[in-house]
Amino acid sequence: MSPETRREAARRRIAEKRAAEERARAQERRRRQTLVGGVAAAVVVVLAVVVVIAVQSARTSTSPDAAVPANTTDGGTAFAVGPADAPVTVDVYEDFLCPACRQFEAAAGATLAELAADGTAQVRYHPIAILDRASTDDYSTRALNAAAAVADAAGTEAFLDFHDALFTEQPAEGGPGLTDARLVELAAGVGAAGPDVEEAITGLVYGDWTREVTDAASRAGVSGTPTVLVDGAPLQDRSAEGLRAAVAEAQEG
Amino acid sequence: MPWVATVARWVLGGVFLAAGALKLPDPDAAVRAVRAYRLLPEPLVAPVAFGLPVLEIAVGLALVAGVFVRTAAVVAAALLVVFLGGVGSAWARGLQIDCGCFGGGGEVAAGETAYPAEVVRDVALLAVALALARWPGSRLALGGRHAEATPSNEEGERVP
Repeated sequence: MSPETRREAARRRIAEKRAAEERARAQERRRRQTLVGGVAAAVVVVLAVVVVIAVQSARTSTSPDAAVPANTTDGGTAFAVGPADAPVTVDVYEDFLCPACRQFEAAAGATLAELAADGTAQVRYHPIAILDRASTDDYSTRALNAAAAVADAAGTEAFLDFHDALFTEQPAEGGPGLTDARLVELAAGVGAAGPDVEEAITGLVYGDWTREVTDAASRAGVSGTPTVLVDGAPLQDRSAEGLRAAVAEAQEG
Repeated sequence: MPWVATVARWVLGGVFLAAGALKLPDPDAAVRAVRAYRLLPEPLVAPVAFGLPVLEIAVGLALVAGVFVRTAAVVAAALLVVFLGGVGSAWARGLQIDCGCFGGGGEVAAGETAYPAEVVRDVALLAVALALARWPGSRLALGGRHAEATPSNEEGERVP
């Protein structure tokens, strides 16, 4: 090998070594960039989680001195019909926009009234608002708020009449609900009239209360409507006969 | 293959973006949906209900944009495994709930549960996420080569 070619080979080796070092440096730079980017992204995500949790907590919190309607029972969450010392307790969780609730009321509403009237059972109505997504104007919440206004102004009998009227006039899911004006009319029709009731309905005075009772039902394990509990046990057959049978069984047991 | 990975990124990312975004408008419903699974202690219900959508949106954005694709795909796969566990356990326990995967959730009338469809969807998405974690290289990725460099596609090795 001539000195010339040997020198060339040496030069080539040096150039290759430099190129390899350059590649290694570039790789290291990229690695560092990716690491910095990754840490930054992780910090942003963590911050976003913290901020969103704080914001959503604020949105879901209810005022501690939120208005609670009069004539309620069970910690302000229910409207009771029938004697408190009745042998059986029936809890009914309903949403005024829920079609299955209307069907249940049509099938067994009269039976519930009879059971309460003859002292066999105390029926505790727990109206809740879980279907706001299913109307274009938060009808579940507005209807529940109106029912609270009626109960507050005119008592549980008026509440029950209003409750029946709301199921009779139940709007279809997916569209607008009854207007506030119609809710005020229906309230007046069951004996809850006047500027206070009107203000409570249009001003959503019991808005926080509607969220509190809905949350309370969720915490109590109610994950759908209608949920009917006979002495705490879920009613499977929600027909009039099914209800009578379950109440009779609870009475014996 | 790179274009297949691009489509996979968009599909998986799009689903996560939608799932996260739809849970934000109604935080009360989100809390009820998480609680309905009856798996978490009460103090954890709200943080999970509020924090999970953010994670889903972050994963969705990363996948759609094409940054940190492998990491995002791994997180997506982990979340899907958690979702499958939740839905599977609700099914096994006979709970009548909607998965709440895209907002809402919790409430569902008897006989209106959709567990088989939910499981099939999550398993399909899990397969996509795992494939992306294995082969994250794709076209139209903002992160380009260096963000997800693997030994086989690193620029350095292609330099002559």
